[in-house]
Amino acid sequence: MAPSPCAVCQTNRALILRPKNHQKLCKPCFISVFEAEIHHTITTNNLFHRGERIAIGASGGKDSTVLASVLKTLNERYDYGVELILLSIDEGIKGYRDDSLETVKRNAKQYDMPLTILGYDELYGWTMDQVVEQVGKKGNCTYCGVFRRQALDRGAAKLGVRHVVTGHNADDVAETVLMNLLRGDLPRLSRTTSIVTSTPSIVPSSPETTSHTNIKRSKPLKYAYEKEIVLYAHHKNLDYFSTECLYSPEAFRGSARALIKNLERVRPSAILDVVRSGEDMAKLVPGGNESCGNGCGGHATIVEEEEGGCGSSNGRTSGGEMASMEKQLTQTEVAAEEGLEVEITTAGTKPPNPPDSDAIPLVSGKKGKKLKGPPHGARKQPAKQTMGQCARCGYLSSQEICKACVLLEGLNKNRPKNSIEVSYDNPEESAPTVNSHEIKCTIVTQISEVEKTKGLIYNS
Amino acid sequence: MPGKHVPQDAAAAGQLCRRCRTSEASLVVRTEPLCRDCFIRYVSTKAVKRMESFRVRHSTPDQTRKLLLPMSFGVSSVTLLHILDYQLKNQTAKTGRTGFQLLVVHIDTSAVEKNAPDPSFMSKLQARFKDHSYATVPLKDVFETPSSYSNDQNIEVDPTPTSDQLSTFLATLPSATALADVLSTLRTRLLVAYARQHGCEAILWGDSTTRLAEKTLSETAKGRGFALPWSIADGQTPAGIPSNYPLRDLLKKELTSHANFVNPPLTEVVYAPEPTGPVSTSSKTTTIDDLMKAYFESVEENYPSIVANVVRTATKLDAAKFEEGDERCSLCGMPVPDGKFGIHGWGGDQHDVQGVSPGEQTEALCYGCTRSVPKGTTLPS
Repeated sequence: MAPSPCAVCQTNRALILRPKNHQKLCKPCFISVFEAEIHHTITTNNLFHRGERIAIGASGGKDSTVLASVLKTLNERYDYGVELILLSIDEGIKGYRDDSLETVKRNAKQYDMPLTILGYDELYGWTMDQVVEQVGKKGNCTYCGVFRRQALDRGAAKLGVRHVVTGHNADDVAETVLMNLLRGDLPRLSRTTSIVTSTPSIVPSSPETTSHTNIKRSKPLKYAYEKEIVLYAHHKNLDYFSTECLYSPEAFRGSARALIKNLERVRPSAILDVVRSGEDMAKLVPGGNESCGNGCGGHATIVEEEEGGCGSSNGRTSGGEMASMEKQLTQTEVAAEEGLEVEITTAGTKPPNPPDSDAIPLVSGKKGKKLKGPPHGARKQPAKQTMGQCARCGYLSSQEICKACVLLEGLNKNRPKNSIEVSYDNPEESAPTVNSHEIKCTIVTQISEVEKTKGLIYNS
Repeated sequence: MPGKHVPQDAAAAGQLCRRCRTSEASLVVRTEPLCRDCFIRYVSTKAVKRMESFRVRHSTPDQTRKLLLPMSFGVSSVTLLHILDYQLKNQTAKTGRTGFQLLVVHIDTSAVEKNAPDPSFMSKLQARFKDHSYATVPLKDVFETPSSYSNDQNIEVDPTPTSDQLSTFLATLPSATALADVLSTLRTRLLVAYARQHGCEAILWGDSTTRLAEKTLSETAKGRGFALPWSIADGQTPAGIPSNYPLRDLLKKELTSHANFVNPPLTEVVYAPEPTGPVSTSSKTTTIDDLMKAYFESVEENYPSIVANVVRTATKLDAAKFEEGDERCSLCGMPVPDGKFGIHGWGGDQHDVQGVSPGEQTEALCYGCTRSVPKGTTLPS
């Protein structure tokens, strides 16, 4: 059989079968088609504007490495006039980040971009390894995802950057669409399909610093297939670190991921088709982008902030997350059938946290939500979600306290006793009261610092 | 029923029925052990509850409401017929008349599909469930019926028999997924046309919860997310005939158990093709529908509420707004917003980069249909 010529230039021998549409291309044409498509995505969506400083969320993996490389190429070729910098988050997973951060450092040199690395321990007082030690491997992706989302925004704010680009590709978006259908989360389905997520309406709380609540996020690789990203990295000889997160993905994401891979095998366009469906369905979500939070109307939301897991793992499933949701749904069904829910909501229970109260108790899980929510029988439209700021850290949140602070409180509650003893050791710190929410997050850091000092004392 | 063989669920063994508290439970339904009779009542109550608007009191004696029941001879549509047959008998016994009449329609695809059921199943059904109208319509009629929502008004008279046209058209489809997709689109279109022709007020689809969940994900995977509410929700559709899914609260496995429990078993009149073994993901014959079917069969096993939640969630989507004059897909008939036909002209399409202009699409097809019917294929008119 004669070798087929490239479908684009018609002269070179075709060496690449494009995963997206099975077009036969030569290497230079594949590279230029791939870059042209990203350029197309950037220009048609007006992602960038001249003079903008843009932080690339860099993990050292294939997606963010390709993103950095392509953006550098395109910025020079088409003169976008943007300033690109690298921002890395160190989740504190031993053996996972050590090597990938080295890759990012090399990338910084190769692409001549400044690099900032921020650790979870600096931001939250907890490394992921410590979190896993505490909560186990099930559900830790929730922590990682919630922490990371804020981490990039906080890091960007620190650098005075208002736009963060991430390496989310078409496979990731398609996976998220299916995952959110599986776990019944329409609001998030609609949010995660948009190429830009930003919250320009939120005014910075303190004038002297850039607030991390108005950072723009975009995904220039939203329509790029994972397989093509790998091919591009391969043919451009890009230096990336290929490893998967050591902790297994949640069942829903793993399940969705496996489905996406199978769909791609049966029909290559399916990934793009799911993305398209996701975009179209986002327009059909009642109440626009916002809806009620977890537990209402019988469909459950597992995590509050976007993009729960990290999506960088394969289809291993633990099933724990599915089982717990199954249990929750079954209970809701039983309750609904027996009319229990209505009784609870009409019982005239006082909201657990009246607005005048200083103390902001945690409303975790669906029980608290139920109490506040309107009676189930009467609800037609999902309750409108109002975006506000977390009372503790100021991060954008639909709840009074953002998910990260909720998770942190859970973690810190179970911290070994000695962290409580800290306040005894330092009476001049006037015992961090539960009421001083604004400094809660920084206290965590302080405590861990004091712990370090204590450790030194003990060692000496 | 002593001495009678009743299929037994091991999980229910030795437990008392949670509802009647007298008989021994025969199976466990969503954590509740039930006996045979209570289970049958459970199934039919769930379905009849969904038929609320077709009760006798909502009809007038001089005008009977006609409803079309699409019949595939699968367990779901046969079960629906069984339940409605029983409901109608009850209505007659209680009030002397019925709230509606059933028109049972089977679309015969045996000319173009290998595994299609033998249309002779119809006579078995007719013998068992009398008092209803039955019809078998060959799929090729889809191109003979003046389609009420087709765009092309200037239909030329073609001397070729439509059955040949149909097979030629189907043979050009690029994959098993495309074929399955087009066949189901054509089937729906023909049923809708038939319902309109015969003055039916609504179509009663037999889809179970599980089937609706499969559909939710497979329509999404086929790029038909924009039309999802019209294929899974109760209510009006762009075709002008409302859809109803009376079995939407019942799982596929529950319908299968039910078919075995009723006396005589429904399995006698159900067409059950030989199971083809586990779904292979590499096979050329595997379709997106097959993948989703296998997926939800496994989810249903351990997480039935998650299956139900998928459907409940997707049903909450608002249907897109459309008007009579809006442009429509010439294959599936769904409204295409702003006439944006084909796979071009959205964020995920970069074809203009490669010099293919969006105007090249010869047929006015929606995104999903364009994926199944390649460019340049002429639809039989």
